[in-house]
Amino acid sequence: MSYRTLSILAALFVSSAFIPTMLAGPADDAFDQGQQALAAKDYTTAIAKLQQAVQLDPDSLRNSSQLRQAVLRQTIAAHPKEGSTADFDAEIAFFQKAAADHPMSSNILLNYGFAYVDKIPAAGSITQVILANTALTQFGKSIELKPTWIALYTRGNSYLYWPRVFARASLGVADLEKAYAMQKSEPKKSYHVRVYISLGDGYWKTDNIEKARSMWQEGLQAFPDSQPLKDRLSKQGDDLKTYIDNVLDPNKRVDTDLKELWMQS
Amino acid sequence: MKRWLIALFVIPVAVFAFQAVEAKIHFEEIGAKAGVNAHHHSRQFNGDTGDVLHMFTSGGSSAAVGDFDGDGFDDIFVTDSDNGKPNHLFHNNGNMTFTDVAVKAGVVKGNEPKTIVADALWFDYDNDGREDLLVARFGTPILYHNEGNGKFKDVSATSGLNKFGNTIAVIAFDYDNDGLLDLMFGNYFKPVNLLDLKDPHVLPNDLDNAVNGGGVTLWRNTGNGHFVETTEKAGFGKHTGWTLDIGHGDLNNDGFQDIYLACDYGTDRIFFNNGDGTFTEKTETATGFDTKKGMNVDIADYDNDGWLDIYVTNIYDEYMKECNMLWHNNHDGTFTDVSAETNTCIAGWGWAAKFGDFDNDGWQDLFVVNGLRSAGKDNYIPVLVNLITQPGVDFSDVRLWPKIGDMTWSGYQKKKFFRNIGGQTFKEMSAQAGVDNDKDGRGIGLGDFDNDGRLDFYQVNADQEALLYRNNTEGAGNWVQFKLTGTKSNRDAIGARITLTAGGLKQIQEINGGNGYAGQSTKRAHFGVGKALKVDAVEIHWPSGLVQKVDGVSVNKLNKITEGKGLDR
Repeated sequence: MSYRTLSILAALFVSSAFIPTMLAGPADDAFDQGQQALAAKDYTTAIAKLQQAVQLDPDSLRNSSQLRQAVLRQTIAAHPKEGSTADFDAEIAFFQKAAADHPMSSNILLNYGFAYVDKIPAAGSITQVILANTALTQFGKSIELKPTWIALYTRGNSYLYWPRVFARASLGVADLEKAYAMQKSEPKKSYHVRVYISLGDGYWKTDNIEKARSMWQEGLQAFPDSQPLKDRLSKQGDDLKTYIDNVLDPNKRVDTDLKELWMQS
Repeated sequence: MKRWLIALFVIPVAVFAFQAVEAKIHFEEIGAKAGVNAHHHSRQFNGDTGDVLHMFTSGGSSAAVGDFDGDGFDDIFVTDSDNGKPNHLFHNNGNMTFTDVAVKAGVVKGNEPKTIVADALWFDYDNDGREDLLVARFGTPILYHNEGNGKFKDVSATSGLNKFGNTIAVIAFDYDNDGLLDLMFGNYFKPVNLLDLKDPHVLPNDLDNAVNGGGVTLWRNTGNGHFVETTEKAGFGKHTGWTLDIGHGDLNNDGFQDIYLACDYGTDRIFFNNGDGTFTEKTETATGFDTKKGMNVDIADYDNDGWLDIYVTNIYDEYMKECNMLWHNNHDGTFTDVSAETNTCIAGWGWAAKFGDFDNDGWQDLFVVNGLRSAGKDNYIPVLVNLITQPGVDFSDVRLWPKIGDMTWSGYQKKKFFRNIGGQTFKEMSAQAGVDNDKDGRGIGLGDFDNDGRLDFYQVNADQEALLYRNNTEGAGNWVQFKLTGTKSNRDAIGARITLTAGGLKQIQEINGGNGYAGQSTKRAHFGVGKALKVDAVEIHWPSGLVQKVDGVSVNKLNKITEGKGLDR
């Protein structure tokens, strides 16, 4: 190995280590400015700055998630209840382009899918089906690139919202079992409780009641303060069905804020 | 907020009134015994797209209640839809049996190779005191003049009603208060003949916001047996939705009839009458735009506050959870949907719904029929979703829709009977009432067919036999019925508003010309008055503008009133 080769490798190492730092700076700045604008309810500025942050650091869960939250707050402020479907179109177009520009970013694809989920409550019942299915497609692409805990949890949980007649709950269970296996091999995080809840719901929805209760109980041992787990374990039969049907009602807005995740990363 | 504050004071009174007449609501199904269990046949289509078109045109089963021979008993006209199938005219024999006199009367026809019968309506278009008959079709309508000898004459050719439409709903009302009944047709598909299909793009272009339907047409009665189209002039020309039903009523208490359109695949529409022969659409401010599948509209004052409210059925099933809408009238041109709060939200794949005081307690109950297609064990929905989720698919192309074959789609649904609890909430009690059949319901016709003071109803179904429910409610309250005859107003008195005070309740009702999907109910006004043995006051606002106070109205009796003359003796 010649000196020149070593130098090039060294230079490559230095630059590859330096590039994220260089990008993280402006992305962080844009993110901070976006957050400030969001706090001031200046949604136009917030969205512009957060879009900038996404463009500078496309694989950041934080930037994309906060961008979606800004859009959500803007549309709810403009249109009471669940907003108007058109309010979400610019956001979807932005993520579509970002996904095309950054085809190897699994988190962009994940948030692209979430952008469709955010639109669902504002849409008519049949458009909801179309949006939910499109979101699943993007979640699937994200998993193909990188089967992360959040991507598996997200897709698995999404399948559970589909009515039984579509028989998609078993697909959700498969994803959630993978997410469960992942989190068992990681240090405990507060958001891990979500898999206990959803995987139990998945077992319930596939008529495996004992497995569902067992999963919820295991979750409660790990997270003794979890009210959703306590609620499920305190109910039986029709009461439990009513409770879970209500939780998995596609007409209700799903909390797609990933703050809990990126704040602990 | 104000409404709920008022409600706090009203509830105790209302509950007291209700408890005073705790009747055991019950019905007996006597369709076969009465001879009215006509079996409907929906139209069969040929070719590769026939299966899907048949599925999309599964309406057409309708009933119109009216006393065509003036003998004091309401009769029933019932439609069929397949090629060559006869319609029925069930003459009421007065003993809760009926005789089909359609052939003798000359009203069997309508289902021809290129036309499909879809709805029917009794109305006295020439104010001669006899109920004429309009048969609405996918095609041009048929207008029959009642000749008065048990026979009808087809006067379609001279009526001016010569415009092709895929009509699924029709109402008669006097929109300009000139004393002549006008017609509004609700059209489902755009005006192309499905039985001679040239272009396969005939289905909804969007399943939540479709704008390629048939809209409505409005026809003004010019008084010489002739109608002229006034759709554009009156302000309805821009509506291109998939109209499934039309409801009319004076929604803002200004003396003019307003219009609510229930539309499939997208937003319903509300039009207020300007009083000068034109209407203004106020959907955005009155109700807001919806994306639901509007199927039926009925109009009544369910909470006895003196303002008409609106009930709309939509679709609620495992895979599509659209609430029905009970639009409470806010008295200011706006409406608030209170279906969830009143327990009237969930009623399956809704079709007709009718208000009626079935226990005579002074509060309007609600019967809802439902169910699209009860067939084999396989479910069409998972098949359909494959089409729906295809990116960029053209829903309007009938060739792309999967065949349904023998599959079931939202079938075998139990009907819903909502008992009105003092105008604040409703209790579903179809099983107790004996009306929880699981047929594929379409239309409802209310009437007191045995003149016993309890409202009965007739239920027509798609591709199944019709049902007649006789009201056998025990402990029903007292009642007052009115048969109004207009003189300056249209003779049917459609649009006349009766305000009745009795037993501490003030109630309003308007005579309507066909509100409710695929059904027309009796033109008699039927009021329950609970324990009251006398009527305190009756006031009639006629479409002519005359306000008439009527004395001497009797309880537990049909009271006949002529405009400007008082009670007929």
